[in-house]
Amino acid sequence: MKIKLNPIIKKDLQVSARSMRISWGLFGYEMLLAVAFLIALSIIQAESRSYYSNNIYSYLVYLFPVVAIAQIGIVMLIVPILTAGSISGEKERQTFDIMLTTCMSPFSIVLGKVTSAVIRILFFVVASTPIMALAFVVGGLSWFDLFTFILTIIMLAFFTGSIGIFCSSVCRKAIAAVILSFVFYAVIFGGTFIPSLIHALFAYSSYGNDYMGESMVFWLFNPIIFYEEYFTQIMTGESLLNGANFDLDEVGPLTYLLSQGKVWMFVSAICIILLSLVFMAAAAWKVNPLHSSGGRKPGKKKAGQE
Amino acid sequence: MLYINDLTKNYGSFTAVNHLSLHIPEGDLFGFVGPNGAGKTTTIRIVCGLLKASGGSVRIGNSSAPVGSKEMKRMIGYVPDFFGVYDNLKVKEYMDMYGSMYGMDSGDIAKLTDDLLELVNLTDKKEFYVDTLSRGMKQRLCVARALLHNPKLLILDEPSSGLDPRARVEMKELLKNLHSMGKTIIISSHILSELSEMCNSIGIMNRGQLITAGKIEDVMQHFGGGQKLHIRVISEMEPAVRLLQEQAGVTVQSVRENEILVGYQGTEEQIGRLLQYMVQNQVTMTDFYREAGTLESLFMQLTGGGAQ
Ligand SMILES: Nc1ncnc2c1ncn2[C@@H]1O[C@H](COP(=O)(O)OP(=O)(O)OP(=O)(O)O)[C@@H](O)[C@H]1O
Ligand SMILES: [Mg+2]
Repeated sequence: MKIKLNPIIKKDLQVSARSMRISWGLFGYEMLLAVAFLIALSIIQAESRSYYSNNIYSYLVYLFPVVAIAQIGIVMLIVPILTAGSISGEKERQTFDIMLTTCMSPFSIVLGKVTSAVIRILFFVVASTPIMALAFVVGGLSWFDLFTFILTIIMLAFFTGSIGIFCSSVCRKAIAAVILSFVFYAVIFGGTFIPSLIHALFAYSSYGNDYMGESMVFWLFNPIIFYEEYFTQIMTGESLLNGANFDLDEVGPLTYLLSQGKVWMFVSAICIILLSLVFMAAAAWKVNPLHSSGGRKPGKKKAGQE
Repeated sequence: MLYINDLTKNYGSFTAVNHLSLHIPEGDLFGFVGPNGAGKTTTIRIVCGLLKASGGSVRIGNSSAPVGSKEMKRMIGYVPDFFGVYDNLKVKEYMDMYGSMYGMDSGDIAKLTDDLLELVNLTDKKEFYVDTLSRGMKQRLCVARALLHNPKLLILDEPSSGLDPRARVEMKELLKNLHSMGKTIIISSHILSELSEMCNSIGIMNRGQLITAGKIEDVMQHFGGGQKLHIRVISEMEPAVRLLQEQAGVTVQSVRENEILVGYQGTEEQIGRLLQYMVQNQVTMTDFYREAGTLESLFMQLTGGGAQ
């Protein structure tokens, strides 16, 4: 079977390539990156002069987390903005209905929208790889790490894009969808700690040592923890959770397994992708006129009772 | 071809479409008429799978595919009552996008695009950006787009709204053309004179209900009450008026010097017999003609009082 490019991706890329926004965005981003790079370089230079007078190169490895975190920030900020307006934007242009009368399923529409946002953000990621590569090659990180980093960025972009598209399917206005996306961030980043907190309280009052237990499973869905673990492993070779030194009998097999850093990252990545799929499926459900009560016409009378 | 059975759509307690049943035979150019808010758009959107019906069913031909299924969507080309455009997209790319949304091959789409643009008279606009086209051109482009996947049924919701008279004529010619190619077409509109010129069957809808549907002549004849007869009499007026008033279905509307204006409910044949009767009764007439029963008057009559 021939695999065809999702027509929405093609169209979105065609349209955005012709708009000035992406050019200016890239320009601004490159400028920012250059400035950040130069500042970081001068700091490293100053530092290295005061301690080890001739070993500037080993400090270049710290460029990696700086650039990487900047990218993570950009992905988390920009992707929801790109996707949040995508469905409400099509509805505003009144092209969404036509799309729904074609053979595109709501899920492939949603997936196409998210993917096109991911590809557009990849322009930015790719633009910054030379700087990161400097950290890798000169600073002593492996090419494989650079590769995995880009994979995790794609994953993160899908994740944030799915949240954005879900919000876009719920909200009429793009701006409301962006705000809702950030609310979801707060819920996911903060909320996944709540079971652990409850567990910790409960554990303190009854019996001592297994302060995390299976409530740690929720952390798997938290990209922040995923990245903390990722950077810890890359930069120090250790794992965040290794320090806990779990006893298999005490914490149970699941937590024990997860406390092995590499396993954790792998499982966490799968969980984050699953969560993204859930968001996309929910968005697809929401935009399907045969499921929701919607199907309102933009600009016409608002649904009164439903 | 299209079977709509007992279709109902409620918005809360408001019924937009009320137990509508309709059959549109293959090859028809069907005019779907009704005042604002009658429920035409609602019905069309349900058929296209854009709105969930509260009850009833829709079927095309003998296929058992449910509304909104891919199979059904392949059989319908939909031209909505608005035209959405993307900035920065060319006409041929616009066509390509929708074609590939039906899973068509790029090469096939390119070939078809040429043919269809020729059909809708937009060949020279192929490289233009869609948002630079005039409204009439966009509307025609939309028709071309709806024909890309070669649907059996083409549904147009108010295709002439917002078009100037010339663009309207072009649209009409285009639709007639498609009709002669054997496509089944449904057009919703309130511009009745236009529909009466091109449609071969119509359905009149008001307040969510289908009032009547059928071949245009049948509908006009059946509801012939809209017609007016002008009768010019040179013999005595008094007995002529009296004679007319005695007839069932006749309402004398005005009597001028020697012309009587009469509203008449009846078929062609009955009108003929009325004329005969008048002559037999020694009324001398120099003129006896029917104001062509316009769809407008029929429309006003059928939807009268219900349009607020
Ligand atoms: N989303 C909605 N919520 C509530 N009522 C609605 C909704 N959409 C349509 N209606 C109502 O349903 C009725 C039928 O509307 P519809 O758009 O089908 O009419 P129409 O025949 O197409 O009219 P027009 O000629 O103005 O296009 C109207 O009274 C309208 O107010
Ligand atoms: Mg309408």
